[in-house]
Amino acid sequence: MQRCNLTSRVIVFVVLTLSLASPSQAAAETLFVGYSDWPGWVAWEVAVEKDWFAEAGVDVQFEWFDYAASMEAFAAGQLDAVTMTNGDALVTGSTGAQSVMIIIGDYSNGNDMVVAAPGIKSVSELRGKRVGVEIGFVSHLLLLDALESVGLTEADVELVNVPTNETPQVLASRDVDAIVAWQPNSGQSLSRVPGSTAVYTSGDQPGLIYDVLAVSPRSLYANREEWSKVVDVWYRVVDYILDPATVDDALSIMSARVGLSPEEYAPLLAGTRLLRREEAKGLYQETEGFDSLHGSTSISNDFNLRYEVYRDPQDLEAYIDSSFTLGK
Amino acid sequence: MTSAPWLAPRIALSQQRERVLTLLSFLLPLLVWAAVSYTPFIWHPNMEITEPGSVNYFQEGMQIERETFQEEYNTQLEAGGELPQGFRANPVYLPAPHEVAIAFYTSFTTEPRRRSEQWLHESLWHSIQIIFWGFTLSSILGVPLGILSGTFAAVSRLHEPFIEFFRYLPAPAFGALAVAILGIYDGPKIAIIFIGTFFQQVLVISNTTRKLDIALLEAALTLGANRRQLLFKVVIPGVLPQLYKDQRILLGWAWTYLIVAELIGTSSGITWFITQQARYQNFDNVFAAIMMIGIIGLLSDLLLARLGKRLFPWERSSNKS
Repeated sequence: MQRCNLTSRVIVFVVLTLSLASPSQAAAETLFVGYSDWPGWVAWEVAVEKDWFAEAGVDVQFEWFDYAASMEAFAAGQLDAVTMTNGDALVTGSTGAQSVMIIIGDYSNGNDMVVAAPGIKSVSELRGKRVGVEIGFVSHLLLLDALESVGLTEADVELVNVPTNETPQVLASRDVDAIVAWQPNSGQSLSRVPGSTAVYTSGDQPGLIYDVLAVSPRSLYANREEWSKVVDVWYRVVDYILDPATVDDALSIMSARVGLSPEEYAPLLAGTRLLRREEAKGLYQETEGFDSLHGSTSISNDFNLRYEVYRDPQDLEAYIDSSFTLGK
Repeated sequence: MTSAPWLAPRIALSQQRERVLTLLSFLLPLLVWAAVSYTPFIWHPNMEITEPGSVNYFQEGMQIERETFQEEYNTQLEAGGELPQGFRANPVYLPAPHEVAIAFYTSFTTEPRRRSEQWLHESLWHSIQIIFWGFTLSSILGVPLGILSGTFAAVSRLHEPFIEFFRYLPAPAFGALAVAILGIYDGPKIAIIFIGTFFQQVLVISNTTRKLDIALLEAALTLGANRRQLLFKVVIPGVLPQLYKDQRILLGWAWTYLIVAELIGTSSGITWFITQQARYQNFDNVFAAIMMIGIIGLLSDLLLARLGKRLFPWERSSNKS
């Protein structure tokens, strides 16, 4: 009975989806990319708004998501690529949706923060305190790194699972003593709770969080040429944003995506270190530390294993493809 | 009307009194909201700073708890520094009525800044379509199943125990599965509305069907009605007016699932507007959007109620007039 009930529902839904979501069925060559609210990803909007993909001769469809929902949709096989952090690529991959990072778009340079309530001025004072953080994802990683920097571990604090976009309200409620978030939520936490301090930021550990474009291996294999064009468009975007002559236009496009004014958006862009192609090339070396994608991802992997975010080590080689940036 | 007491049990009110009370039902909550917003001594737990004085972390426009403000004020008083100034304010999460009214207007008149962006009324229309399809699909299956369950004990036994179980499962938890099966666009959103509505619908309607006077069924059977005739000539016409009312309530139920449904897959509809505005703390816009949902819901229900009176003129109110 249960099955009969379910089957009938599924049939109706499938019929409906065919009629509503036909684009995904009809155009097999379109590349579907999910992106979300982070300055380094909102940057893609410049290319979308200016039709640069069409100019480059590649059919790309960008779809706007909440961050967690975008990774979910990618994991469900509904997207060809998604923008996420290198650490989250591993977490998403551990659930079966392995991806290949083909672009290092930026690294967080201060936008990600551990914000502590008034009275707490350093990370070591967090011992025994309650910290609101989205468990298992990038903020969690930043917190662990912060704690380790003063010789503490996760066991020394009490974690409270809080969606990142609710962190300002949660810190203001005083139910936690600190939160971990990225912009705009980190900045809002600071201004909502006067006297609060950013006791640790991604600026303290540049390279802890790289923001990447991660592509499904299947799509990358099938559409190598197309993805190569996408990468070229990306570096065009970076140059456009970093060029003082065009930055204002870029800011007005990006701020429109998230519903802010360009002036409000400028500081958010500042904590995001966008990487030109020449700079990005240097990050593909195989070093041990945070100064390379390989090193940073490897450290994330160790963190995730140690704190049992997942249990099986990820094969890092499969996650990184430097050829698009380094050139053929 | 002069003599009739206001509180007479189950006696209908005069039209004039009815109108006054309807108006009041909206005015009273609005008055409470206005009181909390405009009288500085009610609630207003924060101080909005106009002059930071010598307090190093104060900034103009910053909101701070009153106690902290007082502490810093006293500290400066003792130290002989410049005194901070400010006025009592509510947290940004509670905008005042006039702010929401302005936001209500401007959000409709604000032109989309990007080519791919939609006007607000287009976003709203998109949300309405999600509700419409979710509710329609649910009704196509749920109404017949409910009527059958209410009429035949065997059908009821076959479905209702499972439905009783399933209706407690949280619809949004099926989001990931819905995305995996139905894609990232409207499919999974409609599915969530469906899951949220369908199971309640079957139970409510089978219950309504069961309340039909059994004498009607017995009379029909005595007169030789077969099962088909019983269903189409007696049961369905008999429950139709109440079923219509149930559907109105269930439609409201479907609306409550809109926000969670639209969070699944791509950001779209009115939920995109609400979450994005909330992320950047524009709570006047958030409240305006919440009002829009309320207004659309209320208007559509009023419309359906009107229509109901036309369709079922014999159905009288259960109050004496």
